[in-house]
Amino acid sequence: MEGVKLTLALITAILLQWTLRNVAEPLAYIDLPLIIVVYAALQRNTIRALLFGTISGVAVDALSGGLLGANGFSKTLIAYVVSELARRVYLDNVLLRIPVIAGACLLDDLVYFGLHRLFGQPPAGDLLTTAAYSLIGTTIVGTLVYLMLQSVPTEKGPRRKREMFAPRRQTRRRNPIRLNK
Amino acid sequence: MESGELDLPLTTHHSPFTTKKMVERSQTEVWRLAPWLMIALLLANFVLMAFEAREITTGQRIIRAWTQTAADFIQSPVTSVTGGIANYFESISSLRSAQSDNDLLKQRVQELEVELKQKQDLASENTRLKSMLDLKEQSKYKVLTARIIGRDPSIWFDSSILNRGSLDGVMINMPVVDDGGLIGRVTATGPLTCQVDLVTRNKSGVGGVIGQIGESNALGVVGGTGKSDLLEMRYVPGIIDVQIGQPVFTSGQDGIYPAGLKVGDIVNVISGSATTPHVIQIRPASRLNSMQEVAILLYEPPEKVAFDQKLPNATREASKK
Repeated sequence: MEGVKLTLALITAILLQWTLRNVAEPLAYIDLPLIIVVYAALQRNTIRALLFGTISGVAVDALSGGLLGANGFSKTLIAYVVSELARRVYLDNVLLRIPVIAGACLLDDLVYFGLHRLFGQPPAGDLLTTAAYSLIGTTIVGTLVYLMLQSVPTEKGPRRKREMFAPRRQTRRRNPIRLNK
Repeated sequence: MESGELDLPLTTHHSPFTTKKMVERSQTEVWRLAPWLMIALLLANFVLMAFEAREITTGQRIIRAWTQTAADFIQSPVTSVTGGIANYFESISSLRSAQSDNDLLKQRVQELEVELKQKQDLASENTRLKSMLDLKEQSKYKVLTARIIGRDPSIWFDSSILNRGSLDGVMINMPVVDDGGLIGRVTATGPLTCQVDLVTRNKSGVGGVIGQIGESNALGVVGGTGKSDLLEMRYVPGIIDVQIGQPVFTSGQDGIYPAGLKVGDIVNVISGSATTPHVIQIRPASRLNSMQEVAILLYEPPEKVAFDQKLPNATREASKK
């Protein structure tokens, strides 16, 4: 169920990424496939996240003027890094996921830009400006998408919902006055 | 292998402890497999990039061409639908200023506004298509009109996808123009679509001449700056007089573009000297920011004579045979 949900989300993200720039230019700053790849990696299913990263990256590259495989490379790398991070650190709280998507977006932009420079095909955009807009757009939309995806019921649904905003751990209070003694 | 992984009991009944152990083992195997899979995928992507970087100027990019063809079935209808939705919302947002007290009147105004917008769109489309038709009639090359059906999904580049492909006779490196002037060249073709790189791209290069060809010897190379409204012309000798406002045309010496296509007008000149060339900034003649219909020139440059056949040694070799 989780796999089907994420696959559908990834296909939708790729289709939207292909077409949204026709509607409005600023929408291109939002990296929708990256959001889904990071979400898949946060589920600790590394293999799925890696495959998602490569497939979505190559799909976006195929319609882009950039090098074929550059997005695939950066998204695969990010899928692995986030997946390893999620294995070691508790990241089921949505507030903890915000810096993760922001960091992933920044790393994606840096790797993508670096790879194009490496192959002598420098991108047209200015790194600082493009990365900044992309970071803001992707982080905001990513957070909303995560809330939306978590609200879709799965077999793990109730547990995940509790973990979204984890309550403060409460210690058991002891009554200092023991009445029965 | 770890010692814990060797002693799994081969019984049909598993205790909760054993099941947990098996799950742990499969998870461990996945974690072991993951780095290798990542390395394999990264390598595959790297090889794709290296191949692409090598073939980017002349080669036919097969994977790209087929993906674009597949995407065309989605992009074309979605572009039409999203264009309609965007127009509708634009008309609604422009309607806010004309809100009246009466709901019925408001609705009527909205309907009229939508109708008017559609008529304006039709009128502007008519003008654009008419200019394309003029271009087709005036051009000495065979012209194929095309429509932009997709933009670059990545924010880093600004290529466009057109609704004409190899089945229509489009080939790699064919020039793309509008009624204003040069737009770019075809860099990938599928059966139904093709991809166009704009002249403003950093890596682009066009042989240019200031003023009409034959009347001027101010030859240079026009390249992109990454900005959609600025090109740069280099290698024009510093001793030649260059004025702001002069037009720049293609020289036809680059082996891609035919001579005489307008590239743009000079907006700024950083003057050179007897030993240093001018650096000339040009505003593109075509409407790169708002293009919708373009024309592909079905132009094939004359084949160059192979260089080594001109060499005396090569002739001697040929005569020996």
